[in-house]
Amino acid sequence: MYDLIIFIVLLAMGYGFGRYAETKHYKSIINREKELNSIPAIATKILVPARNDLNSQLVTGNVVISIDYFKRFIAGLRNIFGGRVTSYETLLDRARREAILRMKEEAKKLNAELVFNIKLETSSIHKGRGNSIGSVEVLAYGTALYPH
Amino acid sequence: MEYSNPELPEGINTSKDNPLKEFFILTVGLLAVVFVVISALILIVDNFADKIPFEMEKELPISGFIENLETEKLPPYLEQVTQKVLSTFELPENMKITFHYVNDDTVNAFATLGGHIVLYRGLLEKLNSEDELAMVIAHEIAHVKYRHPILSVSHGVVVGVVLTAVSNSSGNSVVNDIMGQTGMASIMKFSRDYEYQSDKEAISSLIKLYGHADGALGLFKVFESEFGKDNSFEFLATHPLTGNRISQTTKMISESNLTSNNSMIRYPDEFKMWLKQQKEKIEKPK
Repeated sequence: MYDLIIFIVLLAMGYGFGRYAETKHYKSIINREKELNSIPAIATKILVPARNDLNSQLVTGNVVISIDYFKRFIAGLRNIFGGRVTSYETLLDRARREAILRMKEEAKKLNAELVFNIKLETSSIHKGRGNSIGSVEVLAYGTALYPH
Repeated sequence: MEYSNPELPEGINTSKDNPLKEFFILTVGLLAVVFVVISALILIVDNFADKIPFEMEKELPISGFIENLETEKLPPYLEQVTQKVLSTFELPENMKITFHYVNDDTVNAFATLGGHIVLYRGLLEKLNSEDELAMVIAHEIAHVKYRHPILSVSHGVVVGVVLTAVSNSSGNSVVNDIMGQTGMASIMKFSRDYEYQSDKEAISSLIKLYGHADGALGLFKVFESEFGKDNSFEFLATHPLTGNRISQTTKMISESNLTSNNSMIRYPDEFKMWLKQQKEKIEKPK
């Protein structure tokens, strides 16, 4: 019986804290995205027209986010029944946007006009314990262009 | 070329549904599927398991396990009561029951494969009357009569095989654990049904012997004072809650138009003495 109680407490904690962290994070993401909207981040490799009056520098943004107990449990159930793993969708969405934001913040420090050729890399962190740890790392990097 | 950087709407890559909804649908679905599949398998197995001849059951290497318990011969009084209770059962000829006594404080008695029934001193001490003792013995004999030990072992094997086969299928240890627990809960459902069935059979045996079934109520009261009031969920237990066993018993008593609060046959003094000596015997070396 105690196992059951511990499990329910863990689930409730995961749900409560996970929900709180997610809502807070989304709020912050949306605000900062508005702030940094003036620095476009574009995926193209070649800039047209090429400008010679700008310096270029690599900018990166890196984030690691962990999933909570509740979401991991739902994802485990989804592995049996199939379907959209919605609980991981928000995790990855947040991680990608946060990584781009951190990259843009670096670009802003350089007074950059834009960041081009941006790339995203995702990896899961589990060190062989894939079943028990659900952390994801997203790295965003690109070339920032800033005036001389 | 004009480059614009519009604000993107939220919710493209994510779902707005409350995850609790998904949680309940998936959890209830999983529990139901596991429970139904395992119960169906158990019912199929039951059709075969009770066809296993009792002789084969006796040949299983269970005697080693019994020997390890350091069992002793029954004293004359216990022998007498067990024979008395046995006489109320119409057991098949090949179903020979062997009683064992263990000088240990454990408050328990059990029936196992091969018709072995083990009585612990700890339980005998807690009882006050022959009626209660007869209830214990009759309950265990009923387990053997209905082949409950072999059925339970078969359930364990089936559920074990199935759960081993599907474990890790979800890739999540918690989910696998939940599936395992649900499998166990299904087994326990059957285990509890067996307890009720044995209680019923034992009560009819008591009625044959004494004309009333107060021994059953007495025994369950001993359980209540010994193990405390029920403080767990029944679906997590191998045995029904004592309260539920009492209500089944009272129901049976009223259906059979029996009186309650009859006087029960007290333990004879010499048996009480013997129990005391037994206790001292194992306490002395300390």
